[in-house]
Amino acid sequence: MNNTVLELENISYKYKNVLILNKINLKINSGEKIALLGKSGSGKTTLISVLNGTIKPTQGEVKLFNESFEELDRKQKSKITTIWQDLRLIEDLSAEQNVNCGLLAENNFYFAFKNLLNISSFKKAHKYMKLCRLHNSIYDKKIRKLSGGQKQRVAIARSLIQESNILLADEPFNNLDPKLITTIKNLLLENVDKNKTKKSPKTALVALHRLDLLNDFDKVIGIRDGKIFFNIKRNNLKKIHLEKIY
Amino acid sequence: MNKLKLNYTSLSFLPILVCIPLGYQLINNIHFGGFKLFQEFLISAFNPKIDNEIIITVIKRLNETILIGFFSWLVSIIFGAIFGIISSNIFYKIFNIPNFFYRIIRFFLTIIRSIHEVVWGIILMQIYGINFSIGIIAICIPSIAVNSKVFAEQLETIDYKNFESINQINAPKFSSLLTILWNPIINTFKNFGLYRLECSIRSTVILGLFGIGGIGTSIFLSFQTLNFRELWTYLWSLAILIILSGLIFKKIKFNTTNKILSIFFITVFFITILFSFSYFFYFIFHNNFENFNSVSSLFKSSSDLGLFDYLKLILETIILSLLSTGIAISLPPLVIAIFNNNTSKIFIKIFAFLLRLIPTPVILLTLLTFNNPSLSLAALTLGLHNAGITSKLLFTNLESQDRRNYIAMKSLGISKKTSWLFGLFSQQAKSYLAYCAYRSDIIIRETAIVGVIGSVGLGWQLQESLSSFAWQEVTMVLIAYSSIAIVGELINGKIKNSLT
Repeated sequence: MNNTVLELENISYKYKNVLILNKINLKINSGEKIALLGKSGSGKTTLISVLNGTIKPTQGEVKLFNESFEELDRKQKSKITTIWQDLRLIEDLSAEQNVNCGLLAENNFYFAFKNLLNISSFKKAHKYMKLCRLHNSIYDKKIRKLSGGQKQRVAIARSLIQESNILLADEPFNNLDPKLITTIKNLLLENVDKNKTKKSPKTALVALHRLDLLNDFDKVIGIRDGKIFFNIKRNNLKKIHLEKIY
Repeated sequence: MNKLKLNYTSLSFLPILVCIPLGYQLINNIHFGGFKLFQEFLISAFNPKIDNEIIITVIKRLNETILIGFFSWLVSIIFGAIFGIISSNIFYKIFNIPNFFYRIIRFFLTIIRSIHEVVWGIILMQIYGINFSIGIIAICIPSIAVNSKVFAEQLETIDYKNFESINQINAPKFSSLLTILWNPIINTFKNFGLYRLECSIRSTVILGLFGIGGIGTSIFLSFQTLNFRELWTYLWSLAILIILSGLIFKKIKFNTTNKILSIFFITVFFITILFSFSYFFYFIFHNNFENFNSVSSLFKSSSDLGLFDYLKLILETIILSLLSTGIAISLPPLVIAIFNNNTSKIFIKIFAFLLRLIPTPVILLTLLTFNNPSLSLAALTLGLHNAGITSKLLFTNLESQDRRNYIAMKSLGISKKTSWLFGLFSQQAKSYLAYCAYRSDIIIRETAIVGVIGSVGLGWQLQESLSSFAWQEVTMVLIAYSSIAIVGELINGKIKNSLT
């Protein structure tokens, strides 16, 4: 049975009088693995920002578990996690402190304080960093000292540690070598599969540029100039669809 | 004909033109009555008085200076950080509070900042009498507001996307706030802490000149008695104190991952807050407020200050600020450009250090030995003192700069001076001018000190009005001061924004 977890109703977003998103209607069901395609500047990042509540749409409504996003409390909103295209890590903190930031929602102020003083437990952070193939020699290194690929994996670990129901990822495979792409892709999407049998299945929406990575997704959404051009099952994706958006 | 085009480099040198009217008035005002005194003053620098009695006095006075300077620094840096947080836009974004409150707090802090610690000190002394704690309070009031501006400006450089990212995790608001602000606050403390400590010590010295205590009082007394050898003993001991405090500060490694050190700093943080509040209430409930009644006559007292005189004083203060700023901006690059060799640089650095070290009233009084009191003399004093500060920044930046362009130009056979100008200084000119814009805010406030001594502008009028308990005049002068400082800060803010 498909339950809608995220819903966009007639969403438009204007920035400095430019229409970035134009009347978007979208339903994301639990357990779905969706690839979001579109060329640069098509509105993918803005769409993800609207979905996670970072950007308030100029028009329309975002619903999470059938409730208006605006009316949800902090705990409910934390069911969404995001991997940002520009990573948005805190440069002055170490890799493990950054990953621990993912636990801020489920902990109190004292945890945040201990994390900054480097006296909190990093057990869980290390577990996820290991899953993301990060070597323990970089755990206590400051972010600014890491390579692009290492930063990318720290951002992914920070997102995964939240163990949220819905994963939104904006080009998460940038900066990764082909071998790591497969590992990380499996890690992100396996998580979805693994939980399908559970009561609250995990859902993923991943913005992509590379078409060769589409294999593991159920659905594909094509976006261009802030409008959804197609929202179809991956098996039905044809060249004509791609021509519409690229 | 080609149109004249100004760039950052030429804009750094252009303000030196203020020396034309300034020099004209200074030459006209020259007198030879005090040359002998001036000569004696200079010679005494190499022959300070050293005996048991003066060493004991120096230790006692330095103790007072350290106590006032250190405590006022500690309190103002901690409360400055707190006010910096609540006057930065990131705080309001995290808590979804309307910007209206942010503007009110900023405006309030701007007014407090616009009045120099000497003015606060003089007012508080009039109300409460001479008291050790008055020095700390007088320095703390504007310093908290100045530090809050420094912290707020640094916090506003935080990438908004980082905030969005932490916010999207949906952590409790205070956890998000702490995580986002922790490192910028520690970094601001690391970068500005020492400078602010130096400022607090300098402010203590200046307030000492007005009788608060510490080494400043001894400096002023020895100057009044023309005991220059003693004066230089105090000045050199002050120099040692500033150099030592700098060395100690640099030795302490503010490593945020050092658990013991972090816990120590947090303990100091909370104890200072607790102590400050306790002391504040003690001060309120255990003070003799008899003199405070004079404030109630604020609106009853009459004012002899006519509108024309009032406007004249405001104009004088503005001109004084402009002339001083011109010297402070252009003198350091000009002198370094002309005397561009290693030996000269050492002498320039020593001279700049002395200009920073010697309190402006002492510089002014020294210059008065061969020049009549005038607006130009006050401007020269303030300009020279601030040139000492801007030159320190310029030297630091130039020394840390990539020298490849300079070397490349020299290898082309271009002269050393031209290579320095276009290969080194031109790359620093923009950030140097941005700092000078900030410095000119301070110059406006400092006009109060030279005004008091040099019979110029609103500072002089303030001293006069306070001495005669003409509170209405005091209020008028303070309003004028605040207005000039606020307008100046707004203009400088615009200039700084266009430069950064």
